[in-house]
Amino acid sequence: MAETRGATVEFRSVTKRYGDTVAVDGLSFAVPAGRICVLVGPSGCGKTTSLRMVNRLIEPTSGEILIDGENVLQGDPTELRRRIGYVIQQTGLFPHQTVADNIATVPRLLGWPKERIGARVDELLTLIGLDVRMLRRYPAQLSGGERQRVGVARAMAARPPVMLMDEPFAAVDPIVRERLQNEFLRLQRDQGITVIFVTHDIDEAIKLGDRVAIMRAGKLVQYAPPGELLAHPADDFVARFVGSDRGLKRLSLLTVGGADIDPNFDRSRLDGAPVLSPSMTLRDALAAMLASESQTGKVMDGDRYLGALTLAKIGAMLRVETPA
Amino acid sequence: MTLLGDVAGWFADPAHWQGTHGIPTRIVEHLELSGLAVAVAIVLSVPLALYLGHVGRGGFVAINVANIGRALPSLALLAFALPIAIALGLGLGFWPTLFALVPLAIPPILTSTFVAVREVDRDVVDAARGMGLRESQILRAIEIPLGLPLILDGMRTASVNVVATATLGAIVAGGALGRFIVDGLALQDYPQLVAGALLVALLAVATEVSFAAFARATAPAGMTANP
Amino acid sequence: MTPGEPLVRWDWVANHTGEIGLRIGEHLELTIIAVVLGLAIAFALAFAGLRLPHLYPPITAFAGILYTIPSLALFAFLVPYTGLSLLTAEIGLVSYTLLILVRNIVSGIRSVPSEVRDAALGMGYTPRAILWRIELPLALGVIFAGIRVATITTIGLVTVTALIGQGGLGYLILLGIQQFFSTPLIVGATLSVALAVAADGALVLVQRSLMPWTRVR
Repeated sequence: MAETRGATVEFRSVTKRYGDTVAVDGLSFAVPAGRICVLVGPSGCGKTTSLRMVNRLIEPTSGEILIDGENVLQGDPTELRRRIGYVIQQTGLFPHQTVADNIATVPRLLGWPKERIGARVDELLTLIGLDVRMLRRYPAQLSGGERQRVGVARAMAARPPVMLMDEPFAAVDPIVRERLQNEFLRLQRDQGITVIFVTHDIDEAIKLGDRVAIMRAGKLVQYAPPGELLAHPADDFVARFVGSDRGLKRLSLLTVGGADIDPNFDRSRLDGAPVLSPSMTLRDALAAMLASESQTGKVMDGDRYLGALTLAKIGAMLRVETPA
Repeated sequence: MTLLGDVAGWFADPAHWQGTHGIPTRIVEHLELSGLAVAVAIVLSVPLALYLGHVGRGGFVAINVANIGRALPSLALLAFALPIAIALGLGLGFWPTLFALVPLAIPPILTSTFVAVREVDRDVVDAARGMGLRESQILRAIEIPLGLPLILDGMRTASVNVVATATLGAIVAGGALGRFIVDGLALQDYPQLVAGALLVALLAVATEVSFAAFARATAPAGMTANP
Repeated sequence: MTPGEPLVRWDWVANHTGEIGLRIGEHLELTIIAVVLGLAIAFALAFAGLRLPHLYPPITAFAGILYTIPSLALFAFLVPYTGLSLLTAEIGLVSYTLLILVRNIVSGIRSVPSEVRDAALGMGYTPRAILWRIELPLALGVIFAGIRVATITTIGLVTVTALIGQGGLGYLILLGIQQFFSTPLIVGATLSVALAVAADGALVLVQRSLMPWTRVR
C-alpha cells in the first residue's frame, strides 16, 4: 500500500487568457504532498480551468505548474497525463469496456505486464469495496455510486502521485454522495495521494479539504485550512460564500475533546443531560443537547467522567469574528 | 467530347420534341405515372398513419413497414406486379409499373407521417385536450400542422424514389422517360441513352428541389429560426 | 404468363438449380464488392470531413446528388465510357452506398459523449488511440446501422444491373420479363428479397458479436 507517495503541487503565477477574457488570473498556491486541496467558487470562477491546466488538457497562457518541483509544461503532455489520476463528474467510463478493462486503462497504456495489471485491478476492487463479480460488467450495468467508485479506482490504478477530481460526486444523490466522500477520505489517507479537487459545494469543500482555495472571477480570494476559512473569512465575498451559518459549520470541524470542558462541574446536576464522547463533533454535541432540552452535556471517555460542556461555551465558539 | 456533342445534337433535333415518342409526351407520361402512384400511396397510408400516430398505437408496425420497404428491390416489385397486372387483364406498360410504384411509395409516407404525429410534444396535446379540443380538432389544429415538415419529408423521399423507379417501366413496355434509356441500351444508341439519363436525373433532382422549396414555404411560423 | 399456367413451375426450378445458385453467387459478389469498396471510400471521406469540418457539407452534398440520380440513369451515363461491364455496375453501386455510410460514420463518431473523450485524453490516450480504441468502437452501432441500410439497398440495386449485362438474380427477373415466363421472374425477385433479409440478419449477428457491451441488461 505504501508504494504510492504523494507529490507536492505548486501553481506559480498561472494565467489563462481566451482572447480578451482572463479565465485564470495570476494563480499562486502550493499543495503539500499527500494533502487534499479543494478549489471552490461560483460557476465561471476558473476552478475547472485551473484543474485542467495541471494535466495540460488546457495549456496555461503564462506561469508555471510544478509537481515535485518539476515544471509540467515541459515535456510530453501524454506522458504527463499517464502519471496523473483524473476523475470527472460524468465518470467518462468507457461504455464499451468492462469494469476490469476500464480500471486497467492507464497500466495498459504504460505497458505493465498482464499479471501485474490483473493483481492491481483485484486490489483496487477490494479497496473501493466492489464484488469481484463486477469485474466483467459494463458501466451501463452499474449504479451511479458504483460507477463513481470505478472512476476513482481507474484514476488510482497506476499509483499516480497526484489525482485531479472535477466534481466527482456531484451527480449522485446526497446519501450516496456522503458515503462516497467518506470512502474517498479513507482511501486518500491510506494511499497518501495528493489530490486537487474541484467543487461548487462549500460543505463538500469543508468536509474534504485539508486546504480550501476560494476562487472568484479567475482570482484566488483565500487559501486556508477550512477551520480558518470559517473563523476568519478574508472578505465579504468569502463570508457570504461560506454561508451565514459558518459558525455552525465550524462546529462540525471541532471536537468535544478540544472544547472548554469544566471538569469541576457538579456531576449530580447532570442527571438527564446527554452523554458526550470526546471524539464527537461540537455540532453533534449541540444537536444532542438541544434534543434533550438540556443546558449541559456530560462528557465521558468510556467510563471516565471528564466534566461538563455547557451551551454557553458552545455559543461562545459560534460567535466567530466577522470580517472588517 | 464527341459524345456530348452528339447528345446536344440529339436534343437539338426537332423530331425528338414531337409526337407520341417526343420528349414532352414522355415527360408528361413520367409525371402522370409518378403523380398517380404517390397520390394512391398517400390515400392508402396517410389516414391510417394519422390515426395510429394520434392514438399512439402500432409504432412497431409502422417502423417495420419502413424496414421491409427498404428490403423490397424496385425491380423485384416490378417482377411481382407484372403477373398480377397480366392476370387482371390490364396488360403491359402503365398498370404493372403503377402496381410496382405504389408499394414502393407507401413505407416512407406511412412511417414519417406516423412519427410526425407521434413526436408532437405530448404536453402541447395535453394542454389542447385540457382546453376542450375534440380529438379531431387536436389532429387538425395541432398535430398535422406541427408534424407537417416531417410528413412532407416522407412524401419527398417517396416521390424521388418513385420518379427514379418509374424509369424501369420501360422494361415492361411502358412509356415515360425510361423509354429513351432502355431503347438506347438495346440499340447501342449512346446519344439517346445519355440524353434519357440526363432527363431522368434532372426530373429526380427537380422533384427533390421543389419539395424542399414547398416544405420551406409551408413550414409553420414559429418553427423556423427566422419566421 | 399465359392463362392457366401456374405462377411458378417447380419443374423449371428443379432443372435450373445450378443456374440459380450461380446467380445467387454473382449477386453476393456484386454486393460485397460494392459495400466493401463503398465502406473504404466512405471512411476516407468521413475522416476528411472530421479533420476538416468545412469539407463535410460539400462531401455530403456530392454524395446526396449521386444518391438522388436514378440508378438506371447513372448506369446509362457510364455505359458509353466503361461499357456493359462489372466496372460500370460497381461504380454505380458504390456511389449509392456513400451518402448513408459517410453520414453514419461521421455522426457516430460525433455522438461519442464528450466526457468519455475528455477522460481518455486526461488519462494519456494519444489522439490516434482515441480514434481507434474509443471513438470507432463506440460509433460502431451507428456505423453498422449504415452498413445494414447500404447492404439492403445494394442488394436491391444489383437486380437493376441486369440491364447492363450484370445483375445476379436480376438476370432471372429480366429473363422472365423478356420470355414472358413468370417462374424465373418470381424466383429471382423472391430470392433477392430473401437475400436482403438474410444479409441483414447476418449483419445483426456480426454487430452483436463485435459489440458485447450493447447486449447487457
